[in-house]
Amino acid sequence: MKKMIFVLVYAITTLTIFSFGKAAENEQLSIALSGQYARKMTDASKKLEELDTAVKKTLLFNESDGSSKAREDIWRLSSDIKNSVSSLPLDQSFSTSWMNYLGRLGNYAKEADRVTDHNEYLRVMGQASKNLRAMADEWEVATTGMVSGKLAISDWTNRLDATKSGHDWSGMGTTVKQYTESDFPLTASESDSMKKKELRNMPDSEVTREEAVERFKKLFPSVSNEIIGVETSKSGSPYPFYHIRFAENQSIGYIDILEKGGHVLSFLSERPFGKEVLPFEDIQKKAEKFLADAEYKDLVYEEARENNTAWHMVYVRVEPRYGAKVFSDTIHLKVAKDIGSIVGLDASEYIRKENTHPQPITKKDWKKFFHANVQVVKEELAYVENERLEQRLVHYLTVTIDEHGVIGTYAVIIDTETSEVIKTERLQ
Amino acid sequence: MKKVVIRIIVVILLLGGTYVTSPNQIGAFSSQQVARGAFGDDVIELQSRLQYIGYYKGTIDGKFGYGTYWALRTFQEKYGLPVDGIAGLKTRKKLVDVSKYDEKFVKDNLNKGNKFTHYGDKPLASQTKKGAGKKENIQLPAKYSEQDLKLIANAVYGESRGELYEGQVAVAAVILNRIEHADFPDTVGGVIFQPGAFTAVADGQIWLTPNAQAKEAVLDAINGWDPSENAIYYFNPITATSKWIWSRPQIKKIGLHVFCS
Repeated sequence: MKKMIFVLVYAITTLTIFSFGKAAENEQLSIALSGQYARKMTDASKKLEELDTAVKKTLLFNESDGSSKAREDIWRLSSDIKNSVSSLPLDQSFSTSWMNYLGRLGNYAKEADRVTDHNEYLRVMGQASKNLRAMADEWEVATTGMVSGKLAISDWTNRLDATKSGHDWSGMGTTVKQYTESDFPLTASESDSMKKKELRNMPDSEVTREEAVERFKKLFPSVSNEIIGVETSKSGSPYPFYHIRFAENQSIGYIDILEKGGHVLSFLSERPFGKEVLPFEDIQKKAEKFLADAEYKDLVYEEARENNTAWHMVYVRVEPRYGAKVFSDTIHLKVAKDIGSIVGLDASEYIRKENTHPQPITKKDWKKFFHANVQVVKEELAYVENERLEQRLVHYLTVTIDEHGVIGTYAVIIDTETSEVIKTERLQ
Repeated sequence: MKKVVIRIIVVILLLGGTYVTSPNQIGAFSSQQVARGAFGDDVIELQSRLQYIGYYKGTIDGKFGYGTYWALRTFQEKYGLPVDGIAGLKTRKKLVDVSKYDEKFVKDNLNKGNKFTHYGDKPLASQTKKGAGKKENIQLPAKYSEQDLKLIANAVYGESRGELYEGQVAVAAVILNRIEHADFPDTVGGVIFQPGAFTAVADGQIWLTPNAQAKEAVLDAINGWDPSENAIYYFNPITATSKWIWSRPQIKKIGLHVFCS
């Protein structure tokens, strides 16, 4: 009996000490985390003030040159605040709207050189300044508890989750959304980009469920005999489509087919792969035969990457005016290495083709344009999206440079009209 | 007896014929030509041999990129071979003739994740130094790193193991869609560790070791597949506690997850 009591007392004591230690450790962690968040909130508040000042400074000048330093500050500060906001536990609807607003503000300031009407710049930034002030005040009130150390992190997150949180985060989110719509509405290029992504205004007629299944069977006869289910997309989808799932032999997968026109959005199949490996030439032949049979006829091979079980291949549309590759209109294929079957097709970017416009082509002397060590090894014309989401005709150059005995290869993308370097990318 | 002899002759002739018509295997190389985009043992051997004779100074990683391509072209030019940057039969034969390849040394070091060279005329011991660990044997599009793949695979495994493969690709695609979306951070780490964004981060399941299927799912998403059809949110209707998530426009359901814009 005595032994039993001893063991019991010993166990309870050990458990109490352990629990106490754990609680103390958790409290320490909680204090450290609260400290981190409080610091980030204080930083964000301070930078918000600086951002407000930078925006006001740009309003002092009639010439955009005069405000270039302040505009750089706007871009930097808005990125910094965006980073702080993204790492804080905030109401999700507020945080997403707020990050969007900050991003658009920064981009607008960065692109201000391109605004031909300076009065328009003053109007937009004047309005943004007013709205930023209001947001800075709201932010200060909303974060007071956390910054002053009166709220523990657990209380802060509980308040965010509560129906009555003590602060109208959702209202703040709605306000910021309104500011975004009024201060930085979508540009025509952004709207075009959205239309492409969301496949809006497709002129094609709708296909029935049976026609969608037929399309599937025609494209992938070897896996389309055992269809598990055909569903239509939910009402919130920006483009209605059929979602077809299949399981035939050991292949399991899905295909999504657009209701308008019966175009394939994507197809993916999973199965155990054999150990044998077909030569790449055979893989490529099979991929190109599939594309031709599926009537994707305006594509050229761009690149391929081998992995454990399959090759991921990229084909790009070629437009007829200049014979230029349109890098936003691509088709991806996944081809099994063992028997060369098509186990994946992604054509979502290809369905709604980009509108490409004629554009003057200025010939450049690449020897003068590049450093003497640089060699242009390939020159093509292509359409590429710039930062403003406009499709631009470009000189798509592959260049090499000797980097301490190793040859570095880069793609340099230059606007044919303005000679703007849209992108420089190191190729692997 | 005569029949037996005839059978033996037929078998010998068949075996001989198979040997003659089979693709030529050069040294340890497989029978296939090796070109840009390829990966695996043939590329490791190609890089090692080119490095042994001083043409390739990049990393021996088994991935046939531009570094290997230019090295191979230089080698072909030097030895009067057709200059196409493809390791075909003639090129591989010449390479085997003029270089050495210590397969065990190279592969042991690759498996240990060591940094090493494979230059000729140097003691093997002086050709290695400790690296950052074994690399993923995966080729990715230029804009993504192995670190990105690992982190997304951790998130996919923590969030959706047990889901259909399609569902796992969709979760990876949501992470990638967020990176491109103005409402979210623009890095993989920023998106995944955004407070409150993923349950697996909150409950620590993100640190479980992802399986091969999760990695393959991420690889497909990184290569362009998006079964979520441009979703930026998803939730499990059975366990979701946030009322706000129900207000998002729903696109489709895969397994237990509803994907939303």
